[in-house]
Amino acid sequence: MKTNWLKLTLTVATAFAVIFSVESGLAQTVAKPKIAVVISTLNNPWFVVLANTARERAEELGCQATIFDSQNDTAREAAHFDNIIAGGYKAILFNPTDANGSIANVLKAKAAGIPVFCIDREINSTNAAVSQILSDSYSGCVKLGEYFVKTVGREGDYAELLGIVGDNNTWNRSKGFHSVVDRFPGLKMVAQQSADFDRAKALEVMSAILQAHPNLRAVFCGNDAMAMGAYQALVAAGREGQVKVFGFDGAEDVLKLIAEGKIVATGMQFPKVMARTAAEYAVAYLKGRRDFPQKVPVAVELVTKANVSKYGDYGKK
Amino acid sequence: MATTAKNKSRRAAGWILLGAAAAVFCRMFPLFHVVPLKTLVAEKQAQTFPAAAIAQKFWAEKLLPAARKTVSADVLLAAIEENPASARTNYGHSPGLSDSYFYFLRGVGRVVSVSDDQIGLAVRPNSTRAEIVLETGLLFGNALRDGSGLLNAGDYPNSQDFNDLAAALNHLAETGVLPELRTAKIGQTVSFAGCAEVDDESTDLHPLQVIPIQATVQ
Repeated sequence: MKTNWLKLTLTVATAFAVIFSVESGLAQTVAKPKIAVVISTLNNPWFVVLANTARERAEELGCQATIFDSQNDTAREAAHFDNIIAGGYKAILFNPTDANGSIANVLKAKAAGIPVFCIDREINSTNAAVSQILSDSYSGCVKLGEYFVKTVGREGDYAELLGIVGDNNTWNRSKGFHSVVDRFPGLKMVAQQSADFDRAKALEVMSAILQAHPNLRAVFCGNDAMAMGAYQALVAAGREGQVKVFGFDGAEDVLKLIAEGKIVATGMQFPKVMARTAAEYAVAYLKGRRDFPQKVPVAVELVTKANVSKYGDYGKK
Repeated sequence: MATTAKNKSRRAAGWILLGAAAAVFCRMFPLFHVVPLKTLVAEKQAQTFPAAAIAQKFWAEKLLPAARKTVSADVLLAAIEENPASARTNYGHSPGLSDSYFYFLRGVGRVVSVSDDQIGLAVRPNSTRAEIVLETGLLFGNALRDGSGLLNAGDYPNSQDFNDLAAALNHLAETGVLPELRTAKIGQTVSFAGCAEVDDESTDLHPLQVIPIQATVQ
């Protein structure tokens, strides 16, 4: 009889323990807000870092985060937003595909009560996203332009590889660079073509430019993927020592080539800083904070052979 | 046989008409446009943000009046020498997330050095070295836009417009301030106001490099 009571007590206690642990587990799952990380493209290591950092930081802060790849396609991006709204997500960390074309998606999320925080790329609206954490591409390219003049000189032919023409970063970078270089009339831009921020396309475009312009002395590329493509084209043409390559991003492979003296300089953006800040803002919003700055510029730093050892892992060491 | 031939020619005429209608429709409502990159660049440049006019208004109505009230160079230099971090906290400001920051200052100094693109000033009574360097060459970057802290990126939906403003402010300084400053000779007195950008707290601020928004040579 004694044994039966003991068994009964143990059975009841175990049952309670199981019920409580299941309930507590369920409670934890239910309490975790879902955050969507929508990225323009994952076909570029820089954006993979941006996406993973945003997801990791959101998870560290107690959220459940999912990455959506828009593949540089606004229609696909719009479909992601529809799914996110229907899927009960509480916030969106958003790297847009198009400064104008993506506004409608952000407004749709806003209308559904889902706050959107832009990362790295902006949308041309100040009343759609809660906040936009953006690289100061213009200033970064002013610094690159000054270094370009210092290293290439005040005379010579050069080419420019532009990014996606619908993206503001493309033009902010180009304008920052030209705000300096255009002041030196001896520097002549003999080719300016878009390679869509894409390495393979840059290889193709640069190969054609090299054939048409035998006296080219430098190429300014709107991102590091294109700088890598341009460098590959130079190697294939046997002209890697003759044409100076400038990039923008601070990608690992470009930092390595800067250290080896094969690429001249890049602008270090801080994707991890931007992604973490966006995730922290989103969680703060979910906890009730509302006073966010509409735009948060993140400084870009010039990286050359002289200071490249200070940088790595998409930021400062 | 004749009916079949008639039907064939009718069908052919129908196809021709349909093709012609489709051609007219496509001419009137093209499915896509091919725009040369050069045209797109020209369109971008011609877009109508009136950067020069906004810069001029900001310069006259906000920047110059604010310059009369900002920290004086001798006070700022003493604060930097005492403790750069607290000088940054008390007198500097940094837009967004950045190691770099700006000072907005005014002062009076004696010209102690002159080069092609800089003028060195000693601003404290016993100093004989250049403590402030005023830039007199080509001006680049955002120091004049961001240095005073009076303009906010969040007020401009398109950051390209905000960046155009930086270039327009540099142009105002180059055309309105630098010509007089370039006439300064060693021993003359210069009263000035301007903005300084500092990369980070490890930057050597001896001398402090300033882009002038106002300068009078006496």
